[in-house]
Amino acid sequence: MDARLTEEHERVQETAREFIESEGGTDLARRQADGENVVDDLWDELAGLDYTAITVPLEYGGFGEGMVYLAALLEAAGRYALPGPLPETAAVAVPLIRDLGTDDQRSTYLPSVADGDLRLSLAVYDDETEPLPGSIQMGAERLGEAETAEFRLEGTKTLVPYAGETDVVIVATRTRESQGYDGVSLFAVETDHDAVETTRMDSLDWARPMYEFSIDGLTVDEEALIGPLHGGGSALVTAMDRFSVAGTAMLVGAADRAVELSAEYGTEREQYGQPIGRFQAVKHRTADMWVDMQGARSLVYYAAWALDGDEPDAARAAAATKSFAADRLHRVFGDDIWNHGGMGFTWDHDAHIYLKQAKSWRNFLGSPEANRDRLIDARLATERNR
Amino acid sequence: MDFSYTDEQETFRHELRAWLEENAPEGWLEDPELPDDDAERVEFLRDWQRTLADDGWAGVHWPEEYGGRGASLVEQTIYREEMARINAPPQINLIGINLIAPTLIEVGTEAQKQRFLPKILSAEEIWCQGYSEPEAGSDVASLTTNAEANGDGEWLVNGQKIWTSYAHVADWCFLVTRTDDSGKKHEGLTVFLVEMDQDGISTEPIHQPHDDRTFNQVYFDDAVASADLVVGEIDRGWDVVMTLSAFEHGSTSIYSIEQRYLALLEYCRTETRNGTPLVERDRIRQQLADFDARIQAAKATHYRNVSKQAESGTPGPEGSMDLLISDELRHDLLNFAVNVQGPAAALWENGHNAFDETSGYIRSYGAWIAAGTGDIQRNIIGERVLGLPKDNKSKTSHRSE
Ligand SMILES: Cc1cc2nc3c(=O)[nH]c(=O)nc-3n(C[C@H](O)[C@H](O)[C@H](O)COP(=O)(O)OP(=O)(O)OC[C@H]3O[C@@H](n4cnc5c(N)ncnc54)[C@H](O)[C@@H]3O)c2cc1C
Repeated sequence: MDARLTEEHERVQETAREFIESEGGTDLARRQADGENVVDDLWDELAGLDYTAITVPLEYGGFGEGMVYLAALLEAAGRYALPGPLPETAAVAVPLIRDLGTDDQRSTYLPSVADGDLRLSLAVYDDETEPLPGSIQMGAERLGEAETAEFRLEGTKTLVPYAGETDVVIVATRTRESQGYDGVSLFAVETDHDAVETTRMDSLDWARPMYEFSIDGLTVDEEALIGPLHGGGSALVTAMDRFSVAGTAMLVGAADRAVELSAEYGTEREQYGQPIGRFQAVKHRTADMWVDMQGARSLVYYAAWALDGDEPDAARAAAATKSFAADRLHRVFGDDIWNHGGMGFTWDHDAHIYLKQAKSWRNFLGSPEANRDRLIDARLATERNR
Repeated sequence: MDFSYTDEQETFRHELRAWLEENAPEGWLEDPELPDDDAERVEFLRDWQRTLADDGWAGVHWPEEYGGRGASLVEQTIYREEMARINAPPQINLIGINLIAPTLIEVGTEAQKQRFLPKILSAEEIWCQGYSEPEAGSDVASLTTNAEANGDGEWLVNGQKIWTSYAHVADWCFLVTRTDDSGKKHEGLTVFLVEMDQDGISTEPIHQPHDDRTFNQVYFDDAVASADLVVGEIDRGWDVVMTLSAFEHGSTSIYSIEQRYLALLEYCRTETRNGTPLVERDRIRQQLADFDARIQAAKATHYRNVSKQAESGTPGPEGSMDLLISDELRHDLLNFAVNVQGPAAALWENGHNAFDETSGYIRSYGAWIAAGTGDIQRNIIGERVLGLPKDNKSKTSHRSE
């Protein structure tokens, strides 16, 4: 056992930090929030650094790395709330295609992802108020009984991250009357298709925009079906677990930065003739922020490792990660605002960027409450023979 | 990054597990109960520790030359996990084994090691830690218990210690005294190894809220400390004090907390209220799940700390994080365990329920004070990890230095 990041992981983090800082750090998120599309340029650079190739298997021109490596990178990206669908592409779409795709699908998509020519996202919700899996309602109707089937997709998906800045969206549909994750099939849909429209939503987190994704009667053939017909549900759940862990890795990076900002301010800012960090109300709050951040980081690392190794408790670890981190890290960002006094409550301070990210992340792909339900069910199922 | 155990480490686990199957006190594996009677309990615990020591399972983290097993940090983690799994009886000489011996191994003389270590291991000599005084707890360096050389190669100790765990059964005390009060508070301290069974020392048990009497007041009235039993140097005891404190912060009780959690889960699964199992109530499910996530986080954090320490060699301030996390987790869990008892929470030992954590819940308040309070741990993290300025009062005093 050596539960630390390897030197290679740390090196990747360091180069990523240097690169993002040289690009302006959180300014990238600010520009994206101002409506500028920074993703295109940024993506070329990320591809130049091979970051887009990390999870792509070796035979398709990637590095064949898993969630641990990616989480290390995303932690560095999260320090600056780096815009762009890197979690969606590298943590969600690539493993789905790698694990479920046909040879054709792999050789169509994966090398382009590695080269930085293709970005992907995931569409699960049909409704912004219904939780998953109930919100998966869009149907994909099978046309005819021919050997090579065709499917007709129709309807609107919502809350699709970065849909307007991606080339392909993996869409969760129902292909037979069913409930839960049973009867779910996944289709890869190209965003530049005439029948497809993406509309940017008024997102809480301006830097990581959500989109509506409308399909106005689109016929696709079997080549668009990722994984088994009716049987994509369990792979989707694992994909969402990867997404959860990846997103939390970014928040951990942000929280690490927030603690750093609070600690720096605590040594510089003086009130009543002394640095405010000498007041234990501030010192202890900052210490608690650090402890919560470390707890979330430990869970991210463990879950990433468990997902990579297909450990029996991988899903439980992912559920623990989201349920532990969502509200605690949100509080870390709030405490960072508080520690900075009036300065903290300004557009110029970074705390609000992180805070919004944490809040919009909270219920996405499963609230902490929903994840706690999953967690306890899993625990009750295994605890006897532990 | 690798959270898995190597084959070698798993072998260690299985060896220990097999040994426990064979050697756990009779009936313990089915029904882990300590004798009620104080004297019987002490005898029982001494026996247990001797049994452990005889087969090399008492001080697993000690070097082999002193009778330990030279276990790596990961093996120590496995050791704690396995001991928690069978809810093993505590080691009565815990302070000797976990705090005093490692300190002696690091800074004691060879003669001191030869003289004391074997008997610590076998529990032939039980130890206590004489730090706190009525006016000096968190602020250990403000202590006043005084030691003066009498010219015959001996030192005479006068003063009072308090909250001294196990002093009533201890044979020796790791005693911090003031030998010079002309300088700064943390200068002029000296650590002695002092024999408890002498005329100059008397102990008086303090009654604790959970009804036990495991800590004491200790009075020194011209007690004799031998000059060759100084640890480190005269007037330079602060470093020794800090060495021991690092060991005090550098372990975790997360595995025993996890065992309690699993017992609580089992209770909530089988116990019904108005015909519904507790675990099916949303509020209770959510809380149980949150504890589960916190325990997973604490364990993974501990693994990360251990991995870091395995390389750096010394327990760093991360120990304060382990301590803080597990103290609060234990308390919150036991508090919740009492809450789910329903009206029976009004009872001390509720005969109707198979699950009773009342005294554990009361005891948990002591745990988060004992090795330095949560406030002190937060100071350590704030100052030593995050680089925040030291508060004026703590600059030269409290345990965090
Ligand atoms: C179960 C138990 C077993 C113990 N066993 C031993 C033992 O074997 N040997 C031994 O020597 N001692 C032992 N102790 C004593 C223990 O180490 C002290 O109680 C502890 O260090 C706190 O000191 P105090 O009791 O004097 O409280 P104080 O130091 O007076 O603290 C009172 C309150 O003030 C806060 N406070 C104090 N200083 C600061 C500061 N700088 N910043 C912020 N807050 C502060 C504390 O957090 C606490 O809330 C034991 C205590 C307990 C409860």
